[in-house]
Amino acid sequence: MAILELHNLKKYFATQKAVDDISLSIDKGNIFGLLGPNGAGKTTLIRMITGIFYPDEGEIIFDGKKFNPVNDVGHIGYMPEERGLYKKMKIGEQTLYLAQLKGLKKHDALKKIKEWFKKFEMESWWNKKVEDLSKGMSQKLQFVTTVLHEPKLIILDEPFSGLDPVNTNLIKDEIFNLAQTGATIIFSTHRMEQVEEICNHIVLVNKGKKILDGTVKQVKQDFKENLFSVGTELIPAAVNGNAPFEVVGTKDHSYVVRIKEGNKPNQVLQYLLQEGVNIHSFNEILPSLNDIFIKLVEGTPLTRQFLEQKQAANPNA
Amino acid sequence: MNKIALIIKREYLTRVRKRTFIISTLLFPLLYILLIFGTGYIAEKSKQNLKIAIIDSSGYLNRTMITKQNLIDNSSTLTLATENANKIINDPKAEGYDGYVVIPPISWQQGSNHLLLKSNKSYGIGTTSPIDAKLNRIWDEVKNDSLKIDTAKQQILATSRLKLTPSNIKDEKANAETATGIGYACGFLIYFILLIYGSQVMMGVMEEKTNRIAEIIVSSVKPFQMMLGKITGIGLVALTQFLLWISFVLIIYNVGKFSGGGGMATAIVASAQKVFGSINVPLILFCFAFYFLAGFFFYASLYGAIGSAVNEDMREAQSLAFPITMLVILSIALMSSAIANPTSPVAVWASIIPFSSPIVMMARIPFGVPNTVPFWQLGLSMSLLIIGFVFTTWFAGKIYRTGILMYGKKPTWREMIRWAFRKS
Repeated sequence: MAILELHNLKKYFATQKAVDDISLSIDKGNIFGLLGPNGAGKTTLIRMITGIFYPDEGEIIFDGKKFNPVNDVGHIGYMPEERGLYKKMKIGEQTLYLAQLKGLKKHDALKKIKEWFKKFEMESWWNKKVEDLSKGMSQKLQFVTTVLHEPKLIILDEPFSGLDPVNTNLIKDEIFNLAQTGATIIFSTHRMEQVEEICNHIVLVNKGKKILDGTVKQVKQDFKENLFSVGTELIPAAVNGNAPFEVVGTKDHSYVVRIKEGNKPNQVLQYLLQEGVNIHSFNEILPSLNDIFIKLVEGTPLTRQFLEQKQAANPNA
Repeated sequence: MNKIALIIKREYLTRVRKRTFIISTLLFPLLYILLIFGTGYIAEKSKQNLKIAIIDSSGYLNRTMITKQNLIDNSSTLTLATENANKIINDPKAEGYDGYVVIPPISWQQGSNHLLLKSNKSYGIGTTSPIDAKLNRIWDEVKNDSLKIDTAKQQILATSRLKLTPSNIKDEKANAETATGIGYACGFLIYFILLIYGSQVMMGVMEEKTNRIAEIIVSSVKPFQMMLGKITGIGLVALTQFLLWISFVLIIYNVGKFSGGGGMATAIVASAQKVFGSINVPLILFCFAFYFLAGFFFYASLYGAIGSAVNEDMREAQSLAFPITMLVILSIALMSSAIANPTSPVAVWASIIPFSSPIVMMARIPFGVPNTVPFWQLGLSMSLLIIGFVFTTWFAGKIYRTGILMYGKKPTWREMIRWAFRKS
């Protein structure tokens, strides 16, 4: 069942169409990747989901009902990309305050804060001020304040920026935990390797429009270019026109081949075996999300401009 | 509603618990007293005692008269110069004088005679006016002697006088002198509160914006609630400070009354009793509370809107806040004219139009309701101020909602007004 459905959402600002007719649906318990280049409209989209902005047009369905910001924000946890806490306020008080603003009773909030602080080994921080914390520490605190009220929908915008590998893993494990206990997570980032690792469903947004929607597996299948890597000493120099593949290049002592239209991987193997080639490995090469991202986003004026600039600076490239 | 209460509580507690609040609450009255007594003391201290030679060509003055006056007032010493007069005129310093006065051959019956106090340096009025007074007392003696007026008659001339005090038949409590004092005090207090606490609201909003916590808060509460909570919380801080000051006064008043002793304490108690007895205390307190709160909301919301529109740069904020601050200062200027003439058209309209009414009306009310300030004016002023602050809060809320999440270039007032009036 979907926790969140967006139907034809639009938000126009004076100078641009920040979100231009986006529809999507996110299932409960999913870890959902919201991807897109800078300025694609992700933040505007998130702000509409968190009730900060009203959409100009379209409809948001939250947990089966029309989204009502006043009541539903208590079920949403949002960690913006630009982190923020009151610098001069004591950490314990601040966490309690933010939890109460989300609608928790003082007693419940205190209990939950103690649990989380224990889990993240933050108990000694209670009377410290945020300005005394390091960047990584305040990041952890920010994560705790985001998930403390057990939201059904958690929106994390670049949650790992500024974290060391140990703390990154700590937060990552928590994200998996939360998803397992039924929370849905929207994960917005530019770091594609993290998306591949964590998300099961992604949407790619560019210039206010949705340009890609699917599971990570499916998207990779859709964008595969029938490339295989063949581990062998030597492919016969003369691959005749009848071969079911063409050699595209070499990589780490193996050849990269593209299977011609209408052929199957087995036919490649058959052909090579017939030619008497020794094969130690045969793998499909799936595109990385990074490649897909760049491929899809390229061609927009911004990227083109960027590439042109790069070329102008380095004409031999 | 509950969420606004949480915000109010936070805004209030974080400010009241700060050391600066406690210090400023204690220090402000002390500084104020110091300022009043200090300036008097400095003025007294900066007076100089001069040695002045009197060169008399009229022949009326003699040494006895001058010595007598020197004994009565020992500030500057006058000396009748005779044989060395020319030397003094050439160079008073060399003869041991700071300056000299030449009295021309005049008659005591003549009207105003203009004399010059000549000296090498310039002296302030605090120094020269006692000399003027002393010289005139000597001249009085000359006139009295010539007219043969004895001490008993002099006494009658000095004490038998008419004194005119304005009195309101309809409202005896609206005594003009006290009213002027109370009016000034109320007007200035509101003025200070609008400026000091208004800018506190502005800086509080800027802090939330630059700390980037604003986005987290607005994902839990509406921006309008956030702004209203902040303004109310800070308003309560101002009110607390006030109540503390009032209770200081009451404590001093009661301690002074019961201890009975201490010349200054009893003097203060006596004057306070006189003031409290001569005004309509409940009316003034009620109106003060109303104009203080409504005026605060009127201006604080505008200051909040500015805080939301700018980035961390204090100068940007000040330049945007300039028109608002000018309105407050203009109100103080209008207040002075309203106190001098509380029924003039300027005073009446300035006390009705919302931006200036908190200060100007508060200055007029001590002159008497309903005689100086008719009920319709008070009612109209209050209703317009309520409409005014509801409007500014709404207007500021619109700007706030857009501004708090907007980073980058400082907007102009024109852009901010556009934010307020575009459809949401």
